[in-house]
Amino acid sequence: MSSAKTDKRGKRRASSPLFGLVIILALLATAGFFAARDFLSMRAEEPIRPSAGLTSIRPLSSYFPALAGTPGDTDVYVFKGREEGGRVLILGGTHPNEPAGYVSAVVLIENLRVDRGTIFIIPRANRSGFTHSDPQEASPQRYAIETPSGRRFFRLGSRVTNPVHQWPDPTIYVNPGGQALAGIEARNLNRAYPGRPRGNLTERVAFGVMELIRRERIGLGLDLHESAPEYPVINALVFNEAAADLAATAQMSLQDQGLDFRLEASPPNLRGLSHREWGEAAGIKAVLIETPNASHGRLKGRPSASLVVDGRDKFYVRAAGLGRLYVPFGPEGIPLRDRVARHLAGVAALLAGLADLEPENAVGISGLPDPDGIRAGGVGAFLRRPPGGRP
Amino acid sequence: MAEPLLLLLMVGVFAALALGFKLPLGPSLALAALAGALLGGHGLALRHLVEGAFGFFDIILIIAAAMIFMKSIQASGLLDGLIAAVLRAFHRRPAALLWTMMALAMLPGMITGSSLAAVLSTGPLIAPVLIKLGLRPARAAAFVASGAVLGMIAPPVNILVMILGAGVDMPYVGLTAPLLLIVLPLALIIPLVLGLGRIRSVADGEVAGLLPAFDARPYGVRIYLPLGLVLVLLVLQNIPGTGFAAMGLPAVFLLGSLTAAFCGRKFSFLRTSREAISDAMPILAILAGVGMFIQIMTLTGGRGWAVLAFLSLPPALLYAGIAVGMPLFGGVSAFGSASVLGVPFLLALSGSNALITAAALSAIVAIGDFMPPAAMAARFSAQIAGEKSLSRVLRALAGPALLILAAGLAVLWLAPVLDKVL
Repeated sequence: MSSAKTDKRGKRRASSPLFGLVIILALLATAGFFAARDFLSMRAEEPIRPSAGLTSIRPLSSYFPALAGTPGDTDVYVFKGREEGGRVLILGGTHPNEPAGYVSAVVLIENLRVDRGTIFIIPRANRSGFTHSDPQEASPQRYAIETPSGRRFFRLGSRVTNPVHQWPDPTIYVNPGGQALAGIEARNLNRAYPGRPRGNLTERVAFGVMELIRRERIGLGLDLHESAPEYPVINALVFNEAAADLAATAQMSLQDQGLDFRLEASPPNLRGLSHREWGEAAGIKAVLIETPNASHGRLKGRPSASLVVDGRDKFYVRAAGLGRLYVPFGPEGIPLRDRVARHLAGVAALLAGLADLEPENAVGISGLPDPDGIRAGGVGAFLRRPPGGRP
Repeated sequence: MAEPLLLLLMVGVFAALALGFKLPLGPSLALAALAGALLGGHGLALRHLVEGAFGFFDIILIIAAAMIFMKSIQASGLLDGLIAAVLRAFHRRPAALLWTMMALAMLPGMITGSSLAAVLSTGPLIAPVLIKLGLRPARAAAFVASGAVLGMIAPPVNILVMILGAGVDMPYVGLTAPLLLIVLPLALIIPLVLGLGRIRSVADGEVAGLLPAFDARPYGVRIYLPLGLVLVLLVLQNIPGTGFAAMGLPAVFLLGSLTAAFCGRKFSFLRTSREAISDAMPILAILAGVGMFIQIMTLTGGRGWAVLAFLSLPPALLYAGIAVGMPLFGGVSAFGSASVLGVPFLLALSGSNALITAAALSAIVAIGDFMPPAAMAARFSAQIAGEKSLSRVLRALAGPALLILAAGLAVLWLAPVLDKVL
């Protein structure tokens, strides 16, 4: 098909504006089609293969029915021991762009056995946040972890709920704790606690988590996060007042293992965060664990799946040389396996501390991968293969 | 290819297309982004181009809705009515008029934290009044843009500080005093710098000749309902529990526009909306292009390189880096600059009081709304004032921009002293 017409003298005339418009629209439609296909591919959830210790999987909506059928409903993995004991909630994926928090929760689900007490794990706390990427961050949509049976892919989502699921953002967001924040924070699960039963989707998810905490009489809540290396609260245990002794006990134990963690008290005037509101609204001990993640920092070089997994970035090495970071950052980077090892060591130390300080609320676990083992063998060594053997 | 070289090439392609081939800015930015993706080895990077363009989707909708509102209140006669009322009240007192106009220009920005909302809501009232009293359109546009940016900085709502605070977990409390310290002197001085001696005092007998041809008085108060509704909804949006927060600014402006269709002079809402979108299209294209450009700049490592380059400056030059870098990046997006550059700068200045530092940084980054290529506040003010030349408006804005920059830097530098006083 030709875009030009020929006049009587055989000369070609310029294309008509309509034809140009059709070409532009066709190009835009083609670009839109392929972009939409990529965008929608983020909705496909990667499998999680629970260990034999799993007791049940139930939706968060079983605690707050208003979430049923919404993109905010998410699976709760329950590991119940034979003996009664403490009751612990562990959240991964509150911020789906902080991969170590999510992968640590998955490793826990795929390896954990509970002998005493009960552990509830929500690996995709903000499930909607896994279905899109943050515009202008140019993040990869997925990263791969090598396992003995092949590669397993995990989605790298956004810090906030998908705007397709919750829109528009208000100009100013006043969260349930009364804090005024920039409008986009209305989609940040870790600013939405204790939630609102008739609030926006993110607030309803937060309310669902609070309902779980209340109904299951949770005593200790752990929220697994990552932060950029230039951010002061990093390699840290952020604790509320009720968890002060527990966090200090865990920190000493972690130091004995050669793992430095800072202790950060939850600021009383910083509202809406798990480490503040879980305690305020339900009276539980709450600890948030932070590890350093170069892939969501502002100083990162080229975003890539390799940056997520290997954690190497030349700009961060330079920034460390300039004294601009709050963690050491060498050419070897801070790989995902080290960050997951730190998270799991933190979880283990906090559970051990709970058993020391409150024997009646002890939670007995086994199967938790050893941090040295993860650092040596990689995270993939602790991810289960599918029943057929294919990844 | 090294990151800075790639960034330079992207800027080069943009400059060649926009200046050499005289292509509109939006497509030039998009094509520069595409070139960056290809040169960076990412192929067409369709996902990134589309995702980047969606980065400003909400702002694009706000602008489209606000432009329809502006055209609707012009068509309904609301603006003519307000202009006449202001001229009747202030025609003999230029200084009082300038300060009143400045307060009006700031008000929507103070409520919404958005200079754009300010320019497009009260700007259409202010610019014609100032022009009728003798100010050149470029200066009237600069007046509106300055007021809008000062409103964006002023309490109670400063989104730039909220963005900075989110990056360091600093709650948005205790900001009123430092923000007022920056804004109040500027709000008194800038109107006089731009207008005093240039607008004339008009005798009672002469004022009738300046009034718009359309007389809004027969319509009574109802002709002003659309503006009242928009201002009320802007306030209600920020009050939790009222259920208005979920409306969003586009809905607020569209409701105002629809109300205008029934409260004054009759006009075709469809034709007015079409004209509004047509007028807004260049800036909408710029925003989509800017979004693509930032996404590819990030993808190819240019963003990280730029942030690190500013943070690598020796301490003596850090303030110079802040003064140059934040407004320059703000020319792409003031909110983006606050997040990408502002947070690292705030952390680099962590020895000072964080509240005072964040307030000062927010003032400096807000100047970005005057800066090309987006130059949001300047561009729309020019449109409102009927000034065709953006560069003339930018020249008129040089003085206010330098004053805002000086105030921001002074507060930044004096932060240790102010910490003891405030």
